[in-house]
Amino acid sequence: MEVPQASSLPTGIPRRLARRPYVAAALLQWRNTYQLRRARVLTVAALALTLLVGLLAAPPTGPMLEWLAGNPVITFALSAGLFGLSAVRRQARIQADAVSSWLSALPATSSSLLRLASRTAAQFLAAAVFVGLAAAVGRMTAPAASQLVLIAAIGAVAGTLGGLRFIGRSATGSPGWHYAGVRRARRNWASAPSLAPLSYWPLAKGRFFGRPKMTSRVVLLVLLSIPAGLHDVPGQVAIAVAAGCMTLVTLLALSAAAVATAGQAARWLAPTPIRSWTFVSAFVWRVALKQAAVLTVVILLACAVGYSQVLRTGVKAAVAFLAASCFTAAAACLWAAHQTGLGAARRGFERRKT
Amino acid sequence: MTEPVQNGDQRSPVLQVVSLHAGYDKLIVLSGVDLELSRGEWLALLGPNASGKTTLLHCIAGMLVPSAGSISICGRSLRQDALGAKGQLGFGCAPERLPGLLTGRQCLEVYAAAKGLGTPDAGVLELAEAFAFTAMLDRFVGSYSLGTRQKLAVLLALLGEPALVVLDEAFNGLDPASALVLKRHLRERVTAGRCGVLLATHALDVVERYSDRAVLLLEGRIARQWGREQLAALRAMPGEGLEAALAAASAPSQSQ
Repeated sequence: MEVPQASSLPTGIPRRLARRPYVAAALLQWRNTYQLRRARVLTVAALALTLLVGLLAAPPTGPMLEWLAGNPVITFALSAGLFGLSAVRRQARIQADAVSSWLSALPATSSSLLRLASRTAAQFLAAAVFVGLAAAVGRMTAPAASQLVLIAAIGAVAGTLGGLRFIGRSATGSPGWHYAGVRRARRNWASAPSLAPLSYWPLAKGRFFGRPKMTSRVVLLVLLSIPAGLHDVPGQVAIAVAAGCMTLVTLLALSAAAVATAGQAARWLAPTPIRSWTFVSAFVWRVALKQAAVLTVVILLACAVGYSQVLRTGVKAAVAFLAASCFTAAAACLWAAHQTGLGAARRGFERRKT
Repeated sequence: MTEPVQNGDQRSPVLQVVSLHAGYDKLIVLSGVDLELSRGEWLALLGPNASGKTTLLHCIAGMLVPSAGSISICGRSLRQDALGAKGQLGFGCAPERLPGLLTGRQCLEVYAAAKGLGTPDAGVLELAEAFAFTAMLDRFVGSYSLGTRQKLAVLLALLGEPALVVLDEAFNGLDPASALVLKRHLRERVTAGRCGVLLATHALDVVERYSDRAVLLLEGRIARQWGREQLAALRAMPGEGLEAALAAASAPSQSQ
């Protein structure tokens, strides 16, 4: 029987990567993505370049970079925090990959160190190139640029090592379903079914996004970046920052969850004759309600401890945040509905009827 | 670097699972599973949904770390010599886990390279031809149907003459002709003593006609085993055969 002869690994991939399937597969996927979606990739690259030029041309860029170079402790803390957080996220993703990837049963190492190091190096290189360009176009002096890059590099190494030690090695790679609370079924769920349970989906995902492990990491990094002791930062301010940060993470996690799950929900419901706007309202309302409840409690607490001016600015900020969150979630739902054809069946049916 | 797979003794155990306990956080899925599979043997793993079949297979594939117990593949401990043990293993991953942005040929190349092969072995490419999969080799996996993804997952599992082939619901989504091709191919490999096959399945015809042994997993424990003679007797039995036996064995657990 004549069988097709598989070629060796495509040119452009070093032969020694053949025994590193995770890296080889990632490189092949990058190459395929470029070939398949060249226009999109080039558009994103052009946008990034425009953003870079815009940032370099912006007046505050030079003074800000000079200030960072002149404040090594803050620069170190920021760099360590950012790279530490990135390391934690990357390591978590690599660990999850080891459990669920199509390559995990292969007799090969997961190349976790190489994958982590290459991405961290790319991230640092991008920052260093930006600082170098800023110095080249005269936005900052060359000695300040080299000092900034050096401090950021030390911070990046310290942050990455700290981030790697921070994350515990998960033995099971358990899914996040245990963050979704088990709810009592409605008494009339069988006789009068409603779309209400749909609203628990983003809520459960939000609880997963804002789980204590994640929140504590963010809060810790934020607290570490407060230069306590240097500028007489009082303890109660640090506590207030931590509490505000936790609240913000909770609120943002809910918004992110609504956006993240909208596509899945729309794909699931696409074969049903549900209307787009019915889907949007059923999906978003509980997230908005929970965010409103959290914001109300925060404002009331702030007022109770004597910050009366909070009432004026706080209410305005809360309303603006809620509006932005609802708008974002609704837009994500509508976009997902459009992409999956949700609501199209009914529209077609109504058109035929008329 | 793993050693090349050798065609060992016909009856040598390719898989030994001893007192295996596993779960996800506080949820205990497997408790005290013992299993042995020899080269030249086809073992069917049966059980109702959520009985722990896939968890057991994930433990054997090294994707899930058990809380207690040991797993050896061809005498190599999965805990102490993971790469050596995995070198003897062919695991059919879940079709939905295959990367959408690689072509079928690229997937085969990555797997072959990781297993230390120069090119995908001819037997697997012949099987691809028999599956009518060759035309799909240069298309992106993302464009595959469930059945086509399943074919690719099986081909990846069989690359490199593994001594132990572990498949989870490998006949799901396959058209009848391809399913028959796969059953015969696996039977040929087993009869020739090239490997042992562990197949988790609900397809009782496969168990009755092709398997040498079957075990029933209930609530994370091996509840019942059928040997070659018992399966032959069930096959000869008029009526429902294994289906009825399975229902009877599962009944107390299901009613709880």
